[in-house]
Amino acid sequence: MQTAVERAFQLIVTGNAELVNILLVTARMSLCSSVIALIIGVPLGLLLGSARFKGRGVLLVINRTLMGMPPVVCGLLFYMLFSGVGPFGRFKLLFTVQLMVLAQVVLITPLVIGNMETYVSDISQTVRENARGLGLGRFKRFLLLANESVYQIFSAYLLAFARAIAEVGAVSMVGGAIAWKTNVMTTAIMQYTNRGDFSLGIALGIILLSVSLIVNVVISLLQRRLSR
Amino acid sequence: MKISAFKKSYEGKWVLDFPGFELKDGNICAVIGSNGSGKSTIAKVLAGIVKADNRRLPVPNDISVGYMPQKSFAFRLSTISNIRLSGGSEEEALVLMKRLQIDHLARKRAKKMSGGETARMALARLLIRPYDLLILDEPTASMDIESTALTEEVVSEYCRNTGCTVLWVTHSLQQARRVAQQAIFMRNGCLCEAGEAEKLLFNPDKTETREFLEFYGI
Ligand SMILES: Nc1ncnc2c1ncn2[C@@H]1O[C@H](COP(=O)(O)OP(=O)(O)OP(=O)(O)O)[C@@H](O)[C@H]1O
Ligand SMILES: [Mg+2]
Repeated sequence: MQTAVERAFQLIVTGNAELVNILLVTARMSLCSSVIALIIGVPLGLLLGSARFKGRGVLLVINRTLMGMPPVVCGLLFYMLFSGVGPFGRFKLLFTVQLMVLAQVVLITPLVIGNMETYVSDISQTVRENARGLGLGRFKRFLLLANESVYQIFSAYLLAFARAIAEVGAVSMVGGAIAWKTNVMTTAIMQYTNRGDFSLGIALGIILLSVSLIVNVVISLLQRRLSR
Repeated sequence: MKISAFKKSYEGKWVLDFPGFELKDGNICAVIGSNGSGKSTIAKVLAGIVKADNRRLPVPNDISVGYMPQKSFAFRLSTISNIRLSGGSEEEALVLMKRLQIDHLARKRAKKMSGGETARMALARLLIRPYDLLILDEPTASMDIESTALTEEVVSEYCRNTGCTVLWVTHSLQQARRVAQQAIFMRNGCLCEAGEAEKLLFNPDKTETREFLEFYGI
């Protein structure tokens, strides 16, 4: 056991090639999926939280359902859609990072939307009253609302990123954990552990936990800023 | 300027019945009444923040309306950026801020201001440009005596200079007497009496108004 931990640190310090590749694939995937989720989720969350329209309640319920979707179910869905016989099979995207990103976007965007919606529905009334009182138009009101939510947008992003990096169910199904291609940190941990090779898994675990720690420190700093 | 009659209920619960009123252009009209009598609701309906039951705006559609909510709010910007949200040059903003004695806060984050400072900032944010109708919902509620006097002076001046009509909600009878030429007395969601300030605030017709004034010990 001790030797496995020692070897894990050795792998990190020496910059083991496979480990580095796994980190790069993971970074590419999580950055892409969290950024796309943010770009889609923030405007939708702002709208859903601030506008009052027919069907808003239904959309909220749908979003909450999607927020609770088990990742493997999402993986299964994309596997079926993009497998050789599926309707999108001809795009040949199964077992690529692109499809992993796509599946993660579907998983993570509802989180961003929900996160923003909760925050915005709290403040939107006040912002709207004051902005309308000044005779400002829709677009300017929307920008002001976004500006009031800046810290929340950061924290929603970090949440999305943390989810993306730690997610395993969907990416293992649509990515296939192919070494040097679609293997990310979480799938690699499973794979190497199954083979009885603990050191790489431990190394990745240490890195994952550190990333999570940093993300959460930043979130709590932002929250302190928000409550001030 | 004519305000048409309207009713307002929240989720089926009736709160306000306004019979309509003719505001004199360029005058200040005080809206007085006890807590919960519907003063803020009038302000919100006229400002288009909430819709009347018939979903129509009770003021002409083509006029510009400025509205200061009862609870002042600072946008997450500097004080001067807050004030320039609806226009005005930096110089104009600074002159106005100086007049309202908040010029030393110009570059500070607006959210860090005190209650009374925020209220003066919210007022400056409106006075930076002309409106046809300006609605102020208890603008001096969180201000000290000095700022209150200053606000009364500045708004009266704005009125004279721009010809703007002002609807000024207040629960201070003294304030109404100082600033208003017209007055509306609200009671339990109904307009009890309305007309010349001289008459309504000193020698009203209705017993309810008289009782309200007596409460202040005229
Ligand atoms: N959003 C709302 N939903 C339901 N009822 C409301 C709402 N806003 C106001 N009311 C009710 O309408 C009535 C009038 O409220 P309004 O805010 O107009 O009173 P006000 O005269 O401004 O009182 P105050 O002097 O305390 O500011 C109150 O009984 C209040 O409970
Ligand atoms: Mg009120």
